[in-house]
Amino acid sequence: MTAPESSRDGSSGDASPFARYDFDPTFYDEMFDEAGSPRESCRQMRDALAGLAPEDLARLQDSVYRRFLHQGITFTVLGEDEVTERIIPLDFVPRVLTGAEWDHIERGLKQRLAALNLFLKDVYHEGRCLRDGVVPLDLVLGCPQYRMEMRGVKVPHDVYVAICGTDLVRTHDGFAVLEDNLRVPSGVSYMLGCRDAVKGAFPQLYRKHRVREVSDYSQRLYSILASLSPSMRTPRIAILTPGLYNSAYYEHALLAGEMGVELVEGQDLAVRDGVLHARTTAGLQRIDVIYRRVDDDFLDPVTFRPDSVLGSPGMFHAYRAGNFVLANAPGTGVGDDKGLYAYVPRIIRYFLDEEPILRNVETHLCREPEGLSYTLDHLDELVVKEVGGSGGYGMLVGPHASAAERAEFAGRLRADPSNFISQPTLALSRAPCFVGGGIEPRHVDLRPFVLQGRDRQEVVPGGLCRVALRRGSLVVNSSQGGGCKDLWVLDE
Amino acid sequence: MLARVAANFYWMGRYLERTGQTVRLVRYPLDHLVDRTVEEIAVGWEVVYRTLGQPPPGAVGGSGDGEAFLMTDAYTLAGSLIEEASNPDSILSCWSTARENARQVRPHLPLPVWTSLNQGYLWMRESDLPAAWAKGPAALVGEASDRLRHLAGTMDGLMYRDDGWRFFSLGSFVERVQHQAALLGAWIALGRGGADLPWADLLRICGAYDVYSRRYSMEVRQEQVVAFLVRDPELPRSLRFALHFIEETLAGIDPAGARYPLAPPHRMALRLAAALEVETLDGSPDGDPDRFFRSIGGECRKLHDLVMTAYVDFPLSEGALP
Repeated sequence: MTAPESSRDGSSGDASPFARYDFDPTFYDEMFDEAGSPRESCRQMRDALAGLAPEDLARLQDSVYRRFLHQGITFTVLGEDEVTERIIPLDFVPRVLTGAEWDHIERGLKQRLAALNLFLKDVYHEGRCLRDGVVPLDLVLGCPQYRMEMRGVKVPHDVYVAICGTDLVRTHDGFAVLEDNLRVPSGVSYMLGCRDAVKGAFPQLYRKHRVREVSDYSQRLYSILASLSPSMRTPRIAILTPGLYNSAYYEHALLAGEMGVELVEGQDLAVRDGVLHARTTAGLQRIDVIYRRVDDDFLDPVTFRPDSVLGSPGMFHAYRAGNFVLANAPGTGVGDDKGLYAYVPRIIRYFLDEEPILRNVETHLCREPEGLSYTLDHLDELVVKEVGGSGGYGMLVGPHASAAERAEFAGRLRADPSNFISQPTLALSRAPCFVGGGIEPRHVDLRPFVLQGRDRQEVVPGGLCRVALRRGSLVVNSSQGGGCKDLWVLDE
Repeated sequence: MLARVAANFYWMGRYLERTGQTVRLVRYPLDHLVDRTVEEIAVGWEVVYRTLGQPPPGAVGGSGDGEAFLMTDAYTLAGSLIEEASNPDSILSCWSTARENARQVRPHLPLPVWTSLNQGYLWMRESDLPAAWAKGPAALVGEASDRLRHLAGTMDGLMYRDDGWRFFSLGSFVERVQHQAALLGAWIALGRGGADLPWADLLRICGAYDVYSRRYSMEVRQEQVVAFLVRDPELPRSLRFALHFIEETLAGIDPAGARYPLAPPHRMALRLAAALEVETLDGSPDGDPDRFFRSIGGECRKLHDLVMTAYVDFPLSEGALP
């Protein structure tokens, strides 16, 4: 636990922003190698930061904060009495990846999404992988996200998941997939917002680094969505949002604006003669593709939850008839269930006949007796998660929990074991962050976004890089004190 | 354009216009009347509150007579219209509502437009009225006015002239007609009640004093002021100008030939413009301009309803298919 070379090299002395950098070789450090020397790809960044006075660092942090504030890059928090808009904490120090590292990630992400799309088609049609015992039948059919309504539905071009956000972590063993988000993954607006803000704060450094661009994400997304359209004419595309009070509303508005498509709510839609329309000032106009940011349950009160006002009655009927495309398709959640996650490497081998490029994190399924037993015996070492949980809720971080909390969780595990999985507590990599006037390491993860169109896949070289801003915390979710930072993929 | 989006553009226009109007009104007693007597300042506040259709804050039983304005201090009278969140006509409330409407149409707004609107709102929300008042009672509304002008310029320079712009403009000008009619009605009614209201002040509130001097003379005459503010075709705040703009905007929304007969709001706008031409408005004791301006306000409310019915809340039927 020593300060890295950057704070000991004599160039900056005690005033170095890295003076309080708590270098710990237990964790993979994104900027420093095991000896505490800057990695080659990070040397320029380290030097630039080390040369800045505390007031310059504070000014840079303030400038990126103000950019987010003034542009209204916010997420909405629903309280009991009021609705507030908050700015996600943004750290101005970019995380740096080499082009080679990224290329490896990209190949792995594309492979994974290709396999998951084949898996989804299979479980809603023939069910070969279930018959062949690749994935347990009851795990799929018992999953709350498995939609019986989707059985036998012909999904255009077999693209069930057009937009995927895959959470990656890095340890000393390299990158690993923590989870897939195949329903309505969010966070891409922070990738774009962070890039704009940090590029504005560090124009010279950005230029010197030759960073791969992410600004064409919306163009790529539009092109992918258009490729799925059932219509021969220029497709009418819309983003379906739950509305102003959804936590990701800013993102929905940003993407609609950048793509030049309508941002619709359920109240704007109407189904006539099995065709989906938007209600415009000139009457009803047909819609060809909906990029929906509404959960399955709320898409159509006729088919799913009858109390939903976020979707449109009859929408699923129009979808089944092939009159418009939903991206992502209903029922994709069965593919990102935490219980199913453990089987993804097998799914890749089964459908693609390839070895997974990106490894999974070791996972114990509590639905299996051995998994439950192991989990109960090692609760103080493991992270236990609900299979349907998200946002960092409903989980136990064993090493950080009290004995009473572990005992309470053990009771829940025994009562409903199939609702839980466990994983080892990962030594998530740490990246330098501006904290309390200096640079300190904090744990990070990464969510890149993969797009699947009719005949191609796209991955923008970047992603939502989440950071646990509380010292020692491993929870990066924004709802639990996490922030975000820019990711620079170097074009070597 | 989505009907909901059109409605939000329309309301955004209305609320931004209302914000500007309240700013202009509050500046009148705080800025223009600083060297006047207490009684004259009280009458100035009465004009402001009557125009907005509100009693002074704390008035018992909704009483809004002149005495109430003499008894209430300027800080309270101004504060209610500047930062009182529970007052729907306060500058903060109007700015906040305009921003909510803008959030609904964000995909259609150029980033500098949204940023200008948002920065203005954040500034207003964080403003410290007591501290600003200590610098000068009109300082806060002065800066609000500058920020609104910056926003207006940004919009004018960057907004695409599609239906979004048209509905925004429509909302602005419907609001303007209603407001100007209310202001003229209040001014004339108070004058008839014996208040000594300089007509030059009315021109200043409307930002029209300099133009009036050039167009007529520096000798300000009541009948010329009323005619100028009602019928001048070049003055942006005249009723005629605003109604003509509304009529042109509606024609843009429903281009000629696209709908016959004309859409109900379009016909209504034409009828209102015609009424302006024939009404006697000399402000003389024989006429009844007060009634006329009230009726203009009422007709504008009808026009608003017709716009909503024609373009937003229309029934969905087979005929709604293009």
